[in-house]
Amino acid sequence: MTASWYLIIPVLFPVLAGILTACGLFGNRARRAAVSCCLGINVLLMIPVLLDGEKAFQLFSLSRNLPVFLKSDDIAKFFAALMNLVWFGVGIYSFEYMEHEGSLDRYYGFYLMTGGALTALAMSGSIVTFYMFYELMALLSVPMVVHTMQKDAVAAGIKYLIYSVLGASLALLGMFLLAGNISSFSFAPGGVLNDAGKGEGRSTVLAAGMLLIIGFGTKAGMFPLHGWLPTAHPVAPAPASAVLSGIITKSGVLGVYRVVYELIGAETLRGSWVQIVFLALTMFTVFSGSLLAYKEQVLKKRLAYSSVSQVSYVLFGLATMTAPGVTGALLHVCAHSLIKDTLFMSAGAIIHKTGKTRVEELEGIGKRMPKVMACFTAVSLGLVGIPPCLGFVSKWYLAQGSLAAAGIPQWLTWLGPAVLLVSALLTAGYLLSIAIRGFFPSREIPAESLTKCDPGASMWIPMACFALLSVALGVFPGKLIALFSSIAASVL
Amino acid sequence: MKKRMLPAFPAFLAAVLAGSVWLCLRPAELSLPGICGMGLSFRTGGFRGMYGVLCAFMWTVTGMLTPEYFRHDQHTGRYLVFNLVTLGATLGVFYADDLFTTLVCFEVMSLASYIWVVQEETPEAMRAGQTYLAVAVIGGLVTLMGLFLLWRHLGTLRYDELREAAAAFTGNRGILTAASWLTMFGFAAKAGLFPVHIWLPKAHPVAPAPASAILSGMLTKTGILGIAVVALRLNQGNEAFGQVLLGLGAVTMFLGAVLGLFSVNLKRTLACSSVSQVGFIVVGIAVTLLLGHHGTTAAYGTVLHMVNHSLCKLCLFLCAGTVFMNLEELDLNRIRGFGRGKPLLHAVFLCGALSIGCIPPLGAGFNSKSLLHEGLLEYLEVLAENGSGAWGAVKALEILFLVSGGLTVAYMTKLYVCLFVEKGPGEGKPAGGRYVSRLSALALILSAAALPVFGIAGRQLMSPLAGMSMDFFGFGEKDFVFFNWENLKGALISIGIGAAVYLTVVRKWMIRREEGGSVYLDRWPAWLDLEERVYRPVLRILPDVLAAVDRRIMEFPDSTLVKETIPKGIAGLTGFLAGLPESFACVRVIPAAVTALCRFLCELPERMTVLAHRLFFRRDKIKKQVPVGNAFTYRLGCFLNRCAGLLNRTVLRSRPLRQDFEYVLAMQQQEATEEQDRVVNSVSYGFLLMLAGIVIVVIVLLWHRGPG
Repeated sequence: MTASWYLIIPVLFPVLAGILTACGLFGNRARRAAVSCCLGINVLLMIPVLLDGEKAFQLFSLSRNLPVFLKSDDIAKFFAALMNLVWFGVGIYSFEYMEHEGSLDRYYGFYLMTGGALTALAMSGSIVTFYMFYELMALLSVPMVVHTMQKDAVAAGIKYLIYSVLGASLALLGMFLLAGNISSFSFAPGGVLNDAGKGEGRSTVLAAGMLLIIGFGTKAGMFPLHGWLPTAHPVAPAPASAVLSGIITKSGVLGVYRVVYELIGAETLRGSWVQIVFLALTMFTVFSGSLLAYKEQVLKKRLAYSSVSQVSYVLFGLATMTAPGVTGALLHVCAHSLIKDTLFMSAGAIIHKTGKTRVEELEGIGKRMPKVMACFTAVSLGLVGIPPCLGFVSKWYLAQGSLAAAGIPQWLTWLGPAVLLVSALLTAGYLLSIAIRGFFPSREIPAESLTKCDPGASMWIPMACFALLSVALGVFPGKLIALFSSIAASVL
Repeated sequence: MKKRMLPAFPAFLAAVLAGSVWLCLRPAELSLPGICGMGLSFRTGGFRGMYGVLCAFMWTVTGMLTPEYFRHDQHTGRYLVFNLVTLGATLGVFYADDLFTTLVCFEVMSLASYIWVVQEETPEAMRAGQTYLAVAVIGGLVTLMGLFLLWRHLGTLRYDELREAAAAFTGNRGILTAASWLTMFGFAAKAGLFPVHIWLPKAHPVAPAPASAILSGMLTKTGILGIAVVALRLNQGNEAFGQVLLGLGAVTMFLGAVLGLFSVNLKRTLACSSVSQVGFIVVGIAVTLLLGHHGTTAAYGTVLHMVNHSLCKLCLFLCAGTVFMNLEELDLNRIRGFGRGKPLLHAVFLCGALSIGCIPPLGAGFNSKSLLHEGLLEYLEVLAENGSGAWGAVKALEILFLVSGGLTVAYMTKLYVCLFVEKGPGEGKPAGGRYVSRLSALALILSAAALPVFGIAGRQLMSPLAGMSMDFFGFGEKDFVFFNWENLKGALISIGIGAAVYLTVVRKWMIRREEGGSVYLDRWPAWLDLEERVYRPVLRILPDVLAAVDRRIMEFPDSTLVKETIPKGIAGLTGFLAGLPESFACVRVIPAAVTALCRFLCELPERMTVLAHRLFFRRDKIKKQVPVGNAFTYRLGCFLNRCAGLLNRTVLRSRPLRQDFEYVLAMQQQEATEEQDRVVNSVSYGFLLMLAGIVIVVIVLLWHRGPG
């Protein structure tokens, strides 16, 4: 293994920068420049990692067979790159949004540190490493949720923490159960079960798998532990909601992916009760999330329920345990990160400029904030899955994955795409209705009240970039599909 | 700036038209692998090339009306942008070479054309837009589901491979049929097939006239294209599919005509007419499918009726647009008499009306509908030869076909009479003297010019046109004679029915005479509205009901039961368990009881031994008697007594010794004797126990050996 020490740089750099920021080193004037530089530099620091082949770097070892190390395999590179990119974009966006808020040193300090923890989480090479950074990330992100320190924000922060810890402890329990049945704790494509795990220990492995899936599924907002999302999102500042929904939920997805495909192995889980329960939970979450979003009137809460639904699209793809399913899931990770961040940023821009939080107040908002609502509409179409957006491509692969699933009842493979499409219909219902009423207000709204109030460039440019990216990647998804297909082929 | 762009708009569209003609004459292929994941592929020429030209032609002609139509509108820029996007997407649908490309273009087209419907931003337009968008989105998603299944089970979506793939499909045919219906749903919704025709009568009246013309003339045809592909390429030989499609087509055909007859709004009538004509075309597709290899006539009829309908609706909607530009009204009672003294409009409208009413010789529709009718008769013959039970139903359908044709004549007569014969408030010329600009007039003329030519020279022009398309439908070219007695008879029957309906139903029932004229009445019962009575309530209530149930489940992990009751229960239980060690029972009662029990258990063997000992060696009650001793002890005692007496008197006077030694010694002797007895007893008891043990051991050993 040649020089691989640079893997640690994109982790350490933002953490150190975050600590310095939190200590108030930069002061009010320099903070904006310093933080945006740090975020930008970290994106650049990812480049050598992305360009180089698969490398591993051991941090330390808890015991002889519990190494804590970072590894840059393809999936790690994808997640780390996506996370850093979105972290950068949302960071730039947040300056204007946060300008009236207090305790900015604390906010940006933890923002940077969480970013570092997420990068480490993405590149974790073993379940122990993953678990460690998973907990770290959960703890570091709490200050962002409770930022306003209002009573409801603190309550939401506590709820977030409880759910995180509960999920993590379920996962930990799963790891304990698994310990005797795996040959190492490091991730390897296809799983690391030993002979015991494949033989007499299979039922233990399955139970452990279920615990791990539900445990990591907590962060991904999968029923039954989805409850923190609709509580935490409306109270957190918009940029924090954006990354919570767009990126932090994906850490749960990555956890489930690592467990299913690189720890236990799809071979063992395919056709078992775990797969059926997993599929049923994700399908139920997909449907319920969008249904409740459809009935929800608070915009950010609606988007939170939407995330519950959409992240379960990804989990559904993982649950099919087929190559197109995994490809679709990873495509949807990309699509949903970009789209949901843009949606939350739009919601934030609306709150920042007009103070409106409820959907029925948004009549005519398109005339007032045409740039913001154009982004909102474009990504909404993507989330519904209208071609040529990326959401359409991912849905195509997810459905093919479901139909190709083997070992489960036939009707379940049909039900999957049907649920996805019903959910897409509801998505159209809860997002496009906002866009339509925004751009075509009824005649009762006086025209003079529709003054233009688009936010500044630092707010709408990140949104526009994400929106464009989500459409452009939908039109030219070739590279992404090739990458994800090769990942899927390697783990199946 | 936008206003200046307006005249350039038709010029740009004309360039597109030239391009489409070039593509039609020099067929080309284009494939873009990897776009949208599956890759797009296009092919021009034949049917697709022809429809591409027609599409660009319609856009150009409507584009020529646009500058005048939008001269006062504020949102012209928006209209133009989405108009061009829709044009591109519609051409994409026609040029697409596989179902995936079709769907991608179809979805873009559906959403971009939404802007047309809501262009005026009136409450009715917004409501119609809601309907349009809902139908488009639901239709698109259902079609997507169908494509998922087709791709999974056939492995191809390319048009030229679909037929072979469907024929070679060995799995459950039910899957293929289900996939076909799902795929067709979105296309049927766009075409306006019953029961998803609801958007047409709502959207057309509110959209700007140039857009209505295209919505009606072109966008419905993209749906027809999809239906044709699904029916003829995926379900060849599937009789049940064909018959259901035939039934749906017939219902659509009749229902549209009836709705058109009842309508009192110019554009709404035309929209209902579109529904009806789409029904005719779908009947044609179904008959083509049912006749299999002998469906050439029906296929010709289908293609020609599509072309005719596109051109008719272009012409008629532009007329309606002209009316609206001048009067801002579409209600028949308000626009009555507008056409009087306007020969150009009169001629153009007449071309369209004759054509859609299928009145020979000027009506081009006569040619195509005759072929459809002929196809239907051929199918009847086939059924009669096979002695099929469906003959009666299809015969009834044929009659319905003629009746629907008659109703078409009736509602077109109603419009014609209203606009050009009767006097009314719409009469007269506008202040400027011109009711239509030169460019718009040219558009009107262009839209109508082809129809009478096609009507008269059907054999020379229409047959070759349809022949170009036959490759797409899988049939060879054929020559038809349109003007024969059989066809004329059909047309005459329809015209007769139409005249009768107009004179009786329309004149007597739908018009009320009042002082100062007559009034067109809307006799359609308001409650009879599929959308308002069924679809909207279901779509409103269903999510509510589901959400109510769903919320229970989703919020269960957050419910008071989980958050409070269960934790409280657990806490109570834990508290009880935690307090237990300190409770009175634990501190006193249980230790005492345990101690007593342990003591009892510990002493049990000893007590038993003692008990047994007592049983075996019952000691007689020793009488309390003065110990006697023996001679030795007596003598020794007497001697010691005397010694003691001697000492008492001499040395130990102050503290005298006892003088009963013979007694003490006797007692000691007796005790020793008793001790000796006891030792003997114990030893003998021990031996007894040992003996019992040995006996038991021997018995056990024997017992164990015994059976072995």
